[in-house]
Amino acid sequence: MKNDNVINKGQQSDAVPGKTGDFPGETGGLNSFWDKLTANRKLVGTLRAILFIIATLVFIISSIIFVIYGVPVLTEMTSGHKTLVTNDKDFRQNPAYKKQTALITKDIQRLSRKYSAYTSGQSYIVINTTDNRFFLYQNKKLIREGFCSSGSYTMLQTSGNKKWVFKTPKGKYWIQGKTTNPVWKKPDWAFVEEGLPIPSSNDFSRYEYGVLGDYALSIGDGYMIHGTIYKRFLGMPVTHGCVRLNDEDLEVIYKTLNIGSKVYIF
Amino acid sequence: METDNDNKSSGGKIALLILVIICSSFIVYFTVMSMLGPSRRLAEMKKEYSSEQSDNKKEKDKGKEKQDSRNFTDSAYLRLIKERALLQSRLIMAETDSIYLTINLADSSMNLEISGVVVHKSKMSSYKASKILTHGNENIIFEMLSTPLTISSDIATIKKEPVMVKMAPKDTSEYKPDIMPDTSITEPVSYILEMTNGTRIFVYQQEEEKPADRMAIFRFDLNDRLRQTWKALKRVAVFKVPEYDLYIKIKLPRADAKIIYRAIPKKGQISVFL
Repeated sequence: MKNDNVINKGQQSDAVPGKTGDFPGETGGLNSFWDKLTANRKLVGTLRAILFIIATLVFIISSIIFVIYGVPVLTEMTSGHKTLVTNDKDFRQNPAYKKQTALITKDIQRLSRKYSAYTSGQSYIVINTTDNRFFLYQNKKLIREGFCSSGSYTMLQTSGNKKWVFKTPKGKYWIQGKTTNPVWKKPDWAFVEEGLPIPSSNDFSRYEYGVLGDYALSIGDGYMIHGTIYKRFLGMPVTHGCVRLNDEDLEVIYKTLNIGSKVYIF
Repeated sequence: METDNDNKSSGGKIALLILVIICSSFIVYFTVMSMLGPSRRLAEMKKEYSSEQSDNKKEKDKGKEKQDSRNFTDSAYLRLIKERALLQSRLIMAETDSIYLTINLADSSMNLEISGVVVHKSKMSSYKASKILTHGNENIIFEMLSTPLTISSDIATIKKEPVMVKMAPKDTSEYKPDIMPDTSITEPVSYILEMTNGTRIFVYQQEEEKPADRMAIFRFDLNDRLRQTWKALKRVAVFKVPEYDLYIKIKLPRADAKIIYRAIPKKGQISVFL
């Protein structure tokens, strides 16, 4: 212990303050810093408090992380043991096994037949309202695809609390009517939307010519697949619920689909 | 004075130590209780899907199945019962005019169908499922999957119907024609479909090239984990085993994920093929 002091003192005396050369003063500097630090009880207390806070925070955070992320992993580890697939050839020769697999195979064939009956060879159209695209099928083969416009999801609301939501209905529909050179009979919302007074049901102002293109195919409830004069909006959700197409696509669809053809909208 | 301080600090140390021990014990207790969840769920499923065959006629079948439990070690037999379960489930859904979803984990595909017609196909980039679904228990799992799963609720980062409210103009002077909609919006797409039988289907967008996308997925996932942990903590606090939910986590291209979420009805049906 005495020797240690001697060495320390010797080192301290050799040190030239402010010089770094071979760093002879560094150990001495550190020691004196440590001495000062231990002498300053207040500082030590503060450092201890900081360390304590950091340790507490680390403990809390790691506990939370463990509970949120670790526990589900551990839970999953206990949930299931994979069945060993042996594919025993002798077992496959077992008459009971053969009978059972034959029964299931028969069942699958019956179910498959029933399921494929849903997709007949008839022409149908699929309309994707999220991407505003259409797909036309004939004999289960895709024959044409392109852009369309579907409902804008706008809710038109009057001060009298009357509401209309312009969305294309989703699900399975079928062609209920086909028209050439259709005339648009404007519904009430078309007047409300423009701030015009609503005319009587058969007023001449309700009839507009040439805005629906050359053809229209009705799918029920007033919804139609028709042409448009706003071709720059194709591929966008801008309509009041109908499906708009460009002239060429509309003509092909009109000629391909018959009354009763399915329309799948999603 | 110094002794007082020493006493205080040692008292604080003891209090801290007690707190750490209590917290650690609770975490251990919570972990053990959570780990009991899957076996409890499996027992419930066994009860639910085996009790369907409780009448006399079906009891005979059950007996047969029991005799042939070795069948489940045969891959050909497993493939057949999987296929049958999927077809049974799809047929039930096809009988409605509604849009439904088929998740085929075997070939990593997810299809939207209406009355037996596939209207949209998508390919998942990766998936993860509960071990209960993928490891063993075939007789129960395929019995469960032979009927479609029905959505009870959903949580999503996007709106199912992005309705915008527009007030009607009072007269023609107030009328403004519609502006072109902004189709460039690429909001992050993640959602959870919760089924009536407790199964949860997570769909995350595959694209994570932007830090904002990664952050959005992380935040969405963290929120759900916090909700589930809170639910589990509430149960554990009253000495009940937390509910274990079967799950399937799927990563899909953003566009496909969005299409599926917007297309599937609120109480839509889903069939799963493992």
